[in-house]
Order: sequence, then C-alpha cells, then structure tokens
Amino acid sequence: MEPVESVEKIEKYSLKSRKKKGASNVFTKIGIVGCGILGQEIAKMASSHGLEVVFLEISDKKIQESFNRIDRDLEKMIERWGMTASEKRAIISRITGVTEYSHLAGCEIVIESIKSRTREDSVEIRKRIFKEIENVVDEKTIIATNSTTLVITEMSSELSHPERCVSLHFISPAAEIPIVEVARGLHTTDEAYKKVCRFAKLLGKKIIPVIESPGIISTRLIATMINEACEILMEGVASMEDIDLTIKAGYGFPLGPFELADKIGLDMVIRWLDNIYEEFGEIKYKASPMLKKRVRANHLGRETGIGFYRYDSEGKKIEAERKDGC
Amino acid sequence: MRILVINSGSSSIKYQLFEMNNKEVLAKGIIEKIGMHGSFLKNTRNDGDVVKLTGEIVDHQAGIEYLLGVLISPNHGSIKSLEELDAIGHRVVHGGETFKSSQLLSDDVIKKIEECSELAPLHNPPNLRGIYAFKNLIPEIPQIGVFDTAFHQTMPDYAYMYAIPYSLYKKYGIRRYGFHGTSHTYVSRQACNFLKVDFSKKKIITCHLGNGASITAVCEGKSVDTSMGLTPVEGMIMGTRSGDLDLGVLTHIMNKEEIGVDSANSLINKHSGMLGISGISSDMREIEKAASEGHDRSNLALKMYEYRILKYIGAYAAVMDGVDIIVFTGGIGENDVNVRKNVCRKLHYLGLEFDEEVNSKTRGNEGEITKSSSKVKVLVIPTNEELVIAEDTMKIIKKK
Repeated sequence: MEPVESVEKIEKYSLKSRKKKGASNVFTKIGIVGCGILGQEIAKMASSHGLEVVFLEISDKKIQESFNRIDRDLEKMIERWGMTASEKRAIISRITGVTEYSHLAGCEIVIESIKSRTREDSVEIRKRIFKEIENVVDEKTIIATNSTTLVITEMSSELSHPERCVSLHFISPAAEIPIVEVARGLHTTDEAYKKVCRFAKLLGKKIIPVIESPGIISTRLIATMINEACEILMEGVASMEDIDLTIKAGYGFPLGPFELADKIGLDMVIRWLDNIYEEFGEIKYKASPMLKKRVRANHLGRETGIGFYRYDSEGKKIEAERKDGC
Repeated sequence: MRILVINSGSSSIKYQLFEMNNKEVLAKGIIEKIGMHGSFLKNTRNDGDVVKLTGEIVDHQAGIEYLLGVLISPNHGSIKSLEELDAIGHRVVHGGETFKSSQLLSDDVIKKIEECSELAPLHNPPNLRGIYAFKNLIPEIPQIGVFDTAFHQTMPDYAYMYAIPYSLYKKYGIRRYGFHGTSHTYVSRQACNFLKVDFSKKKIITCHLGNGASITAVCEGKSVDTSMGLTPVEGMIMGTRSGDLDLGVLTHIMNKEEIGVDSANSLINKHSGMLGISGISSDMREIEKAASEGHDRSNLALKMYEYRILKYIGAYAAVMDGVDIIVFTGGIGENDVNVRKNVCRKLHYLGLEFDEEVNSKTRGNEGEITKSSSKVKVLVIPTNEELVIAEDTMKIIKKK
C-alpha cells in the first residue's frame, strides 16, 4: 500500500531560534521608491539575488510601465543568452509594485530613486519621501538614497532616526557595474553603514567608501567631462563624433562623452551640474549652453530619440556618415 | 551517531538523516522552490510517514529552520531534540586544489570554499548558503564539507593539465578537477562489492549520467581521469550544458552575437546540451518520447548523447590499457534502458556480451546487465552520495 501523504502548513514548524539569531542580519525584502530606469535596474538585480522587492510608484499606470520595461529588458537578456525563461519568471514573481507607502513595512532597506526637476524640488521632495518611509518602517530599517549630488545629511535632517540613513549610489546598468559608492552622513552610525555594506556585498558589489560630497566620485567626474566636451565642441576644436572617438579609442571608454550624456539624459546631466555648482560655486561646473539648448527643445537623449545624436525606436544610435576632411 | 546530510542547491535542499550505527536512513526529503511561489518541504520518515509542508520558504535559512523543526516535531519527527544531532555533512561541489579530502568546516575552510566559488559559480554559492544557515541556527553542531572534486585529486598531472601556458595554472589554478566524486567513489566500490572482487586491482569506468553527467576512469582504486574539467561544463552532453566544445566556437559566437562573458557562460551552461539540440526539453524522458514520435532533433540529440559516452568509454579503456567493469548510475544511467543498450551494443570489441533481457528489467535497482560469460562486466548501481557524505562526516567527527 502506498504511504498516505498528509499536507500541513509549514509555519507551525518554525524554530524560535530564528527570531533570536541572524534575523536582523538577513535581507529578505527591500523597498524602492521611484521605479524609473535605475529603480528598475536595482529591482531586477535585488530580485535576481533572491530578495523580495516592493517598488513604489505614483500611479497604477506608472507601475505597469515599470513592469513592462522590466519584462522587456529580461526578454532581451533571454534573447541574448544571458538568462533562461524560468529565471525570468522567478525574478518577476519576487517584484511587487505599489502606490501606498504602507506596503514598505517589513523592508530591511528602502532606497529612494526618484527623478525630480529642479534642485529645490529635489531636496524638499526627498525630505518628504524620507519622512513617509520613516512613518511605516521599523526604526532599524535603512533608508538610502541613490542620489549623488544631494547630501544624505540634508535629506535625513528632519527624521526621528537620521542615524540609519546612507547614500548608496548604483551606476547604470546596475547589474553589470561591479561597484557601488557608499557615503555616510553626519549622523550615520557604524551599524547602519555596515548593514548597507552587507547589502551591497549580497548583490556582489565592491564597495567604494566615500565621504559625503555632492557628486562624490562618479557623477562629479563624468558630469565635468561631459561639460568640458561641450566646451570643446562649442569652440569648434573638433566634431562631436571625433571627440567621442578620441575618448573611446584613446582612453578605452566604452562610450564617448556625448554618447554618455545621451544615455544618462541631458536633463539629468544639467541637474547634476547645477547641484555641484551650487555647492562649489566653480565656473567649470556651470552647465554648458550646448546642454541647455537641447534640454529646452526636449532633446534629452536616448529617452526622447534625440539628444546629441539620433536614436531609433530600439534606442540604437543612428550613425551619421563620418567625414575626416582628408 | 546521527548525521544530517545536506545537498543545498540553488532553489532546493535535499537531505537525509542517518543513524550511523546501522547506516539506517531515519528520514529524508526535499525542500523545493525556495524563494518562489509554491515552496514546500516534503519529509519521509523511515516508518512510512510522509508529510508535505506548504507555505512561504523565503530563503535557504528559512528552509533549514523548518527542516530542523520537522525533524524534532512530535508528529513527524525522528529525533527528540537538536542535541541528538552529532554533525551536519554538506555536499560541496568545488574544493579546488585546496581540498583533497573531506574537511571540518572552520571559518578558514569556509573562506577557502568561498574562494573556490569562482570555479563553480552555479554550485558553490548555494552550497555555502546551506552552510551559513546551519552556522546561524545551530552553531554548536559541527559541520563537515565533502567535496565533489576530492576523489579526482589522484589524477596524474598529464591527465589534469590543459595544454595552455603553464603560468596560468600557477597563477589561477587552471586545470581539470572533475566532479561527482562521491558518486564515482561509491558506485565503483559498490560494483566491486557486488561482484566480490578486489577494488584495488580492477579497471573500472563509471558513467554518472544525470542532469549533469561525467565519466571516470578508476584504475586500481584511484581516479585517473574524468570527463569534467575546471568547471562542470566539460565532457558529456548534459541536460542544458554543452560538454566538450571547440573553444573557437565560443569566441566566434561571442563575436557574432555580440555577447559578453556572462551571457556566453549562460549559453553553454543553461541553453545548450539536450535542451539546446532538441529544442524541446532537458528531460531525457520527454526527448525520448518526442524522438519516438518522429521528432528529428530529439533523435539527433539522443544519437549525439550516446556517441559522446561511447567516445569516452573507448578513451578510458585505452588510458587504463583495458577495462574490467563498466558502471551506469545517476537518473539516466540507472533508469534509461535504451541509452545503456545503444552504448553497450557497440562495445563488442572490448569483449562485452550484453544481456538485453536483463537490461530491460533493470530500472533503478542494482544489477549486472552482461552475460555471465562476458569478459567486461556492466553493472547498474544506484548512486548513494548521501551515504558517502555521512560516512566521511562520521570519520572526521570521530577523529575530532
């Protein structure tokens, strides 16, 4: 006779010891506020490492747009042999989109990753977001920002527990870039900082410890290079294509400054420069008119199909014929 | 002495609880779909009690916590308290050149296993997740790691070296390591027990054919060559892995498809093998069904699969200057009568007399599938990697 199989709920077999040990060291659920391109990349990456991800967006329509894009990106990875269909299903199944902050309860870390229009907006909106997050999460939950040009001390200044706030800067494409910049604010405790480092290591990232400073390393250097490339172009020293080619072929960059600006978004580059300029007041950080003119015309880069270059609907650059003048 | 054997995979954990005094399995089971919807733990006790526990198992630690909860539960448990557990024995896939035998998992050993993760990115990290979970939950109970690579550490250098610049071996430890060591150890010994012959005097070829597959030449008790290499991709055609592949093919594909190293790795590990050729499945049963219904690519996949096995058996008979015993094991080796038949029918030249009738009746049980007059014996031996892990664990605990 076949043995009879009984079915029961697993929860009653839980050991009490788990509650005592390790629980605070284990990451199971993370929150993301703002699921634009970088937010989506963080969501995919965290989910592919087995974490449950809850992302917050302002409307159901935005949630659907984020899911559509995540789905499209993962499909592309399958087509290019980077993933299997079952891995994709598992990644999507761990991601949830919500419009209410209350769903962030139970997260061990919440990362703010919103896009805002002006510097004034940026700080005020983020302060409000931090407060909203604090209202629903545990007092040990890490609240982090992915912003680099705004300092974490300022954003966390109105919280009851600013000591758990950290700046955690992923660079796009987050899954492929092996480093993450981690900056502590004035109030950040060692405990919170170490917890964030554990989280970053869980995602397989090498940590670059930085002192709180607008633009930290990556944004300050890249924004300045793009701005300087605009100056060279404006002075008529060389063509856009040749400036890009020089940096790529000469120094091994995968993209030239104009290609990079189009990828980042020219509006974002201007916001970075404005924030850095605001802090340091140096003229070299003042956004070039070449950037401003294009942003006024809504030529923001790949996202709008035109920036310094033109792009097709797949986001591929439409190559212009190169003239070498010889 | 009671030993819990753990095989921690990416989304599942298999386990067996042994009473080592009589090598009895007190309980065994599996935790499936960890971190996914529909996760469950299924426990079977030796008195026939079977329970399926359903609910959310978010990660390996949660799964192991439930497993320990079940083992000590009054309804379905096998022990009264966790103090009755003497040790945990873990299957660890890659031990690199560092580990030639099983080890007590000290912090230093765990660190070295972490360092070996680069060599087996699909396997060592989930093995480690199991180890970390026990360390967090019951740190007082010793854990032992039993390495898939350890048995093959007896291979001579001319078998394990690749013909690439020697400096790369010195720099990164690039060489062939081989896998499924516990399985090859067990079935080669067990084959000799079955035939009542001396293990240390026989030339044996063991074919472990499961979703992953490898073939080993065991000469006078030692592994002298094996089909897997630095990683488990080399050698046989597997469920989703390519096995042997011209390196030029890979660089050519990377160029043509404009893909990087990660995607190339995924291509040969997850999209290739029987799945890649047949386009249907990585599961042998589904491929055989499709082939029987006239699906050409499934038929091709089967022919390629068997051909690759034949090539390796021929090669290993040559390197050992003959062969006395061939063993089939693993899910396919133990159950697939057609694969065994199609391979063995082409081994007349070795003096092998195949018994088709016995073969057709041997599925999942121990037995000889050659005639009594056959010079080369062919055996089916269900593998028992868990027992080897438990025995190694016991040896180390006793020494301690």
